[in-house]
Amino acid sequence: MGAIMMTLSGKNAMEAYRVLFGSALGSKTAIANTLLASTPLIFAGLGAAIAFRAGVFNVGVEGSIYIGAFTSAWVGFTFVNLPGYFLVPLALLAAAITGGLWCYFPGVLKARLDVDEIVSTIMLNYVAVLFTSYLVNYPFRLPGLANAMSAEVAPQARLARLSPPSQMNISFLIAVAAAIILAFVVKHMRLGFELRTVGDNPLFARWSGMPVPKVIESVMFISGLFGGLAGAGQALGVNYRFIAGFSPGYAFTGIAIALLARNSPIGTLIAALLFGILRSGSSTMEIFTDVPRDLITVLEATVIFFAALEFSFGWLKRRRRGSAH
Amino acid sequence: MRGISKMFPGVIANDRIDFSVERGTIHALVGENGAGKSTLMRILYGLYRPDEGEIFIEGKKAAIRNPQDAIRLGIGMVHQEFQLVPSLTVAENIVLGNEPLKSIWVDRKAEKESIIKLSKRFGLHVEQDLPIREVPVGVQQRVEILKLLYRKAQLLILDEPTAVLTPQEVDGLFDVLKRLVTEGHTIIFITHKLGEVMDICDKATVLRHGKLIGTVNVADSSSTELARMMVGEEVLRPSEERHPASKEAKLILDDISARGDRGLFALKHISFKVNAGEVVGIAGVEGNGQSELVEVLSGLREYEGMITLASVDLKTESIRFRRENGMAIIPESRKTQGLNLLGKVSENLIVNKYYQKPYSAKTGVLSWKRITEFAKELIVKYDIRADGPDAVAGTLSGGNAQKIILARELSSKPVALIAAHPTRGLDIAATQFVHHEILHMRAENVAVLIISADLDELITLSDRILVLFEGRIVGEVDARTVTHAQLGLLMAGLTDAVS
Repeated sequence: MGAIMMTLSGKNAMEAYRVLFGSALGSKTAIANTLLASTPLIFAGLGAAIAFRAGVFNVGVEGSIYIGAFTSAWVGFTFVNLPGYFLVPLALLAAAITGGLWCYFPGVLKARLDVDEIVSTIMLNYVAVLFTSYLVNYPFRLPGLANAMSAEVAPQARLARLSPPSQMNISFLIAVAAAIILAFVVKHMRLGFELRTVGDNPLFARWSGMPVPKVIESVMFISGLFGGLAGAGQALGVNYRFIAGFSPGYAFTGIAIALLARNSPIGTLIAALLFGILRSGSSTMEIFTDVPRDLITVLEATVIFFAALEFSFGWLKRRRRGSAH
Repeated sequence: MRGISKMFPGVIANDRIDFSVERGTIHALVGENGAGKSTLMRILYGLYRPDEGEIFIEGKKAAIRNPQDAIRLGIGMVHQEFQLVPSLTVAENIVLGNEPLKSIWVDRKAEKESIIKLSKRFGLHVEQDLPIREVPVGVQQRVEILKLLYRKAQLLILDEPTAVLTPQEVDGLFDVLKRLVTEGHTIIFITHKLGEVMDICDKATVLRHGKLIGTVNVADSSSTELARMMVGEEVLRPSEERHPASKEAKLILDDISARGDRGLFALKHISFKVNAGEVVGIAGVEGNGQSELVEVLSGLREYEGMITLASVDLKTESIRFRRENGMAIIPESRKTQGLNLLGKVSENLIVNKYYQKPYSAKTGVLSWKRITEFAKELIVKYDIRADGPDAVAGTLSGGNAQKIILARELSSKPVALIAAHPTRGLDIAATQFVHHEILHMRAENVAVLIISADLDELITLSDRILVLFEGRIVGEVDARTVTHAQLGLLMAGLTDAVS
């Protein structure tokens, strides 16, 4: 598909792909940078995947990313006297909890009052982006700095880099571990069975006595938790501070990744790595060939489009079956 | 129809079937679900093309490529699901597509007159000006028949026409059919109710597994013979001697009222008890509060009044609590309420126990090994035909799907069993199995409440039958002595007629 578009616009597709993959995977640093680009996408993809698997269309992971990033940065620049082995887990935990709560509330609204989660989470995304921006513009404003960003976190709060000079850090490993743990939860744990059943047939889940509202709330919390970790990974591992508006829409790419992976956690990990390759290779490709980077975005969008097409057909079919009763 | 064959992927729906109908007769086409009745008739009506075979009408070979061809040849079909426009009036529905015209305008007067003429001639009385959505199902069916007559159909195919009717409406329909026949029309009557075949049909053709078993003169045959032809084996009627029910009330409903989905009261001051070892049947035309009753009992719908299960007040208790305390439920919709069609057989079997020991550890980790073992046990015990516990539930046939539900609900040692339409859509063999299991529960001292639209089923299984009409219990009868006619009157709300 991408090759067709490149050829249509008169570029050398083979050459472009060679440069793309070469620059994404050609050296140790290149690979590290690809993994770095994948990290927030893995988290965001997992957050979307778990919610979708339970039949909850959570669009609010983006909000959790902002909330989690700010919270972890705040812990990082506030408790500067704590040792690193304590401060880092504390900051990550704080990000996970606040990120989780950010999606938990719309989860409660959905589960108890049947408030549409798509609307409420989209609205909360704006709240999160603007609220964190307000925080670094006013209460936590740094004197003498033009940009809206927080203070730097304490040096011992930084996530260790795994392959300098790349900024790739241990949050990548946490993301991989998260995918594996989530895969286990979905397949082998009570909650996983419950959320799959609720996702497949909520009416049946109710009839058989499953605590459906609780399941939805738990799933929303976990979904937001991954968002919080994505934000913390960026704040503590890459930027070393909270920067207003830092996310280029990680959560939305995450939604696409989850759709592509059909909500499988391991599939999400793989799809996120693929998107990481496209992201990290595209800028080099633009420099060395005359294929614009936007074409990669078009390619991503095409992937999303086809994944969404399939998804909505499946959803429609299920819907029809449900209402046939 | 000669040598008709029709294959669908994986099944031979019709296998070289010869079928002929004489003018001026009512000809029954009987067979279990999936025997190929509907397929054969859809071929005749032009909805399917046969893979092999030919159709002759009045001795002439006919090419029926679509329903328009069939209608031109005088063949009409009333489907199980009526094909009417709810917002149009009765008259508009009858003439739809064939309106009498006066230049470019619809001639409403001519339309009315021709409908009056038709309905007088065949005794099919309808209120012409009411919109379809406001007339009862029985009248809608008359409209369907009038529609065909208006299009000058000579051969009428009725697909299970009595499934949706009250007994009185059935009698009315039969009168109409007899009249049609004396006027020279021909009727093909698809059914699996043998009583109806004996009542009004002249001939009966039996299909089984897509094959023609035979055609008999009803007068020379018996329902036992027809049933044997249908199932291929002697029908087993549950005839075990019943021990009397105990006097210990396990399930008590005291002055229950509940609102339906539209906010109106669907249940009004209902009180009754079900004793241990007793089967209580709930009869009624569908939509008189049955669904709401099941939902109230299972905990899905709020109610006023008090329900006690083994002396425990259920008012504030969850669905899970009810199930843990001995309530088993066979919901009315197998596919949406009773099963997760996308889940495995094992997952469907464990869904009311998965969180308990030994299937789940304190840590929340499930033991798939134990769950699979448990599923295998039930698959054997309840003879569920599936490719093992990992098979996807949606791939099973209706009977085997229902067996999953039975296995799950009955294996948990219930105190009370609520069974809503437990054999709907099942073939005779599967129905027998379900009946047997329900009576087994009775023998095990379970309090059984069975809600069904099938009066034979209620009479066969129940000790007492309560009749629900517009959300009230309008009568209670002894299942050993009650007749269809008595039940029918109660179901129509005519309480004075029965004493």
